[in-house]
Amino acid sequence: MMSWPEGVERRVLDSVDSTNAEAARIADSLAGPCWIMARRQTAARGRRGRAWASPEGNFAATLVLRPAEAPGQAALRSFVAALALRETCAGLTGREAAFSLKWPNDVLLNGGKLAGILLESVGAGGRLTHLAIGIGVNLTAVPPPEAVEPGATPPVALAPETGIRPGQEAFLDALAAAYARWEYQFTTYGFAPIRSAWLAHAARLGQPITARTARETHEGTFETVDETGALVLNGPRGRVAIPAAEVFF
Amino acid sequence: MTKKSHDADVAFIQALAELLRSNELTELEVHRDYGEDDSLNVRVARQMQAAPAAAPVHVAAPAASAAPAPGAEVAQQAASPEDLAQHPGAVTSPMVGTVYLQAEPGTPAFVKIGDTVEEGETLLIIEAMKTMNHIPAPRAGTVKRILVEDGTPVEFGAPLMIVE
Repeated sequence: MMSWPEGVERRVLDSVDSTNAEAARIADSLAGPCWIMARRQTAARGRRGRAWASPEGNFAATLVLRPAEAPGQAALRSFVAALALRETCAGLTGREAAFSLKWPNDVLLNGGKLAGILLESVGAGGRLTHLAIGIGVNLTAVPPPEAVEPGATPPVALAPETGIRPGQEAFLDALAAAYARWEYQFTTYGFAPIRSAWLAHAARLGQPITARTARETHEGTFETVDETGALVLNGPRGRVAIPAAEVFF
Repeated sequence: MTKKSHDADVAFIQALAELLRSNELTELEVHRDYGEDDSLNVRVARQMQAAPAAAPVHVAAPAASAAPAPGAEVAQQAASPEDLAQHPGAVTSPMVGTVYLQAEPGTPAFVKIGDTVEEGETLLIIEAMKTMNHIPAPRAGTVKRILVEDGTPVEFGAPLMIVE
C-alpha cells in the first residue's frame, strides 16, 4: 500500500462531467492540494476542445494546486506530471523501458499513446489562483477508432499491452505518491532536474518530428527541451523554440 | 598613444563640445595633423530637438498592432506595443505562449470589442506546454482594444487587450 501524501486531500466521485471541470468549480473552496478522481467521466475533454474518450475502467483524475510560482514557471508542471505518471506506470508493470515521453507530457507505452495530461490554470499579474492537472490513462481500454484523430499517435491501453490491470483507486494512490516526490524535486531544486529526467525518457530525441502550432507546421530534428520547457527543433529555417504545439512523429 | 597626449585629446574634445553648445551648433568636425602617422579626427554632434528619438521596438509585435512598413506615414503610426503595455487599461501576458480567443475552435470568442466584463471574467487563454492559462479581466470595464490574434504567439509582458 502506497502511503498517501501528507496534506493532500483525496476525493473519489462515481461520475462527473470532467474532473478538470469539477476542479474549476471547487478550486476556490479547497484548503490545500486535492486529487479528484472519477470512476466515470461523461464529458471528458482534451486539448483545444478535443473529446477525450474515457471508456469504463480507465483512469481519470485531476490534481488541484495553488502554485506560488509565476504562470510560466507553474506550467512546467506539465513535465513534472508526465514524469510522475511514467514512473507510476513503470513501477506498477515492472517494465521500465517500455514507457517513454512525448513533448510535453504524453506518456507512451511501446510507442503508443497511453495517457494524456491537460493542465488548466487561472491567473494573471504574476500569480495563479489555481492550477488543475488533469490526467487520463487508458488502463483497460483504448478509445474507439473514430475518436482518434488522423495522424495522431495510435492509442494503447495498459492491460492488453502488459497484462497488468491496476484498479482505478490503486492507480490513484501510486500516482499521488509519485507526483508528491517529483513535486518536491521541482519546488526544491527547480526545473533543471525535471528537465534532465524528462530528456532521459524522451521519445524521438535527435530524430525528425513535426510540431503543429495553431497556424504553422514546423519540421525538424528534435534537439532538446530548453530551460523554459519549449520544444527545440532544428529545421530548414534554423533552430526554433516552440512553447505550444501538438507533436507528430 | 601616451597618457599625456590622451589627456590632451580629451581636453580638446571637451573644448569642442563647449564650443558647440555656446554657439548653438549641431555638429562640428575637426581634423588635426600632429606629424607623420599621427593625426586626430573629431566629430561632435548634438540633437537640438527636445523630442526624443523614436525608441526601437523590441517586443515581438502582435499581428494586430499593424506595424507600418518602412517609409510609411509616421504620423499615423499606432502606439508601439511597448507603449500599449504601459497603458493603464492594458492586460499583459504573464507568460510566453500561444493566444486563443475562444474556449475551443468553433465556439464564440470569450469577449469582443465593446463588451463589458466583470473582474475575473476570462478574456482569453494563453497556452504553453499544454497548460491552458485563462487570463481574467483584472477589473470590471469595457473591452476597448484586442491587440492579439487567435492562434498567434505572444511574449512575456506583451499587451493583449485594453480594458477600461
